Amino acid sequence: MAPKVTATTISLDAQTHEDTHVHAVYDQIASHFSSTRYKPWPIIDTFISSLPTGSIGLDSGTGNGKYLPLPLDPVKSVMTIGMDRSRNLLLIAQNAGGKERSREVVWGDVLGGCWRRGAFDYAISIATIHHLATPERRRAAVERLLESVTPHGGRVLIYVWAIEQDVLSKRSIPGEEEAQVQETAGRDVFVPWVLSKPTAKGSPQLDGEAESPQVFNRYYHMFEAGELRGLVVQAAERMGLSVGEEVAGGEKEGVEIVQDGWERSNYFVELRRWKRVNGI
Amino acid sequence: MVRLITHNLLACHAKGCTSNNFPLQLKDVQLEQREAEFNPDFLRRFMPKLDWGALVDTARQLGDDSLPLEQPEMFDDDFLRKLHHVLLEVSVEEGAMVCPNCSHIYPISNGIPNMLLAENEIG
Ligand SMILES: [Zn+2]
Repeated sequence: MAPKVTATTISLDAQTHEDTHVHAVYDQIASHFSSTRYKPWPIIDTFISSLPTGSIGLDSGTGNGKYLPLPLDPVKSVMTIGMDRSRNLLLIAQNAGGKERSREVVWGDVLGGCWRRGAFDYAISIATIHHLATPERRRAAVERLLESVTPHGGRVLIYVWAIEQDVLSKRSIPGEEEAQVQETAGRDVFVPWVLSKPTAKGSPQLDGEAESPQVFNRYYHMFEAGELRGLVVQAAERMGLSVGEEVAGGEKEGVEIVQDGWERSNYFVELRRWKRVNGI
Repeated sequence: MVRLITHNLLACHAKGCTSNNFPLQLKDVQLEQREAEFNPDFLRRFMPKLDWGALVDTARQLGDDSLPLEQPEMFDDDFLRKLHHVLLEVSVEEGAMVCPNCSHIYPISNGIPNMLLAENEIG
């Protein structure tokens, strides 16, 4: 299905816009949406698989929780806690991976900081930040992610939708491009969700879900090249973190951009926080 | 489910509430015991990340005093099984969590804690 994407502008205040065109929509389409979202992207499985046993992580904007059971090949044991703004999606995410109510989920907002600071070893935010309606809110979401992980090696992976929707992979090497974000970066669009079947096979009917075919316009901010990296740089600056690799005798605390690229119509960035103990 | 492993990570984030905002106090809870797979490797390596005091206090408030007040430096299988039970097999299905500092109430229903704040309550 190739949805027809239409341009849009934010006419309401950002919170109201997101409530109407993101949160309310996902609560309505939860089980249908979930029935179409079951395959985790390989790069995310690779990321989770690279974490040492005993790691604890946050999936901010977990949706139906499809990343919560990762890694697929569980030679290592980690635990991911899912957070989302849609309660109907969380009711599905609780059972992600087939084991009934085996997942830990929290009803929360990506702009909230309901965690002990630095409590997590890793945080992922997949296809979520692009639902926020202003550059400030998107940057704040990156700050919350960076705050949630430990300054001593905490890792973050972020995916957002790209304007560039072709199938050619073009990875950029960290440091290659200069981050420069303007108010006009990216593109605000509506992506329709056609709810043809009220209840998908095997999915429970949830409260408040629509009974007849309906079209819901979901709001997205499509990212342009360099924009995600730019948000990271801004977020790091506001947190007093230097951007780049850890250098002996250099800055005390920072965030390294481990990889930064484009994959399957999405931009992604992987980050690692570092902090030098006793100035060494 | 709000298992104690999750409770050990949650903190109040109401506007201006930045100290003494952890751990949230459980109130009027309905508990459920749910068997989980025992994974000593995970527990051993996860343990240093716990706020031990918060875990022990909370478990004791729920009537489980199987864990020692001090986190042991050496641990055997017996201890790890007790930790496993407290951390991963006791879950709060209904109830609330109250901030010790500002008394903000975070309700828990169907095992899902509601950590949302109104726009004007966000710090
Ligand atoms: Zn508080």
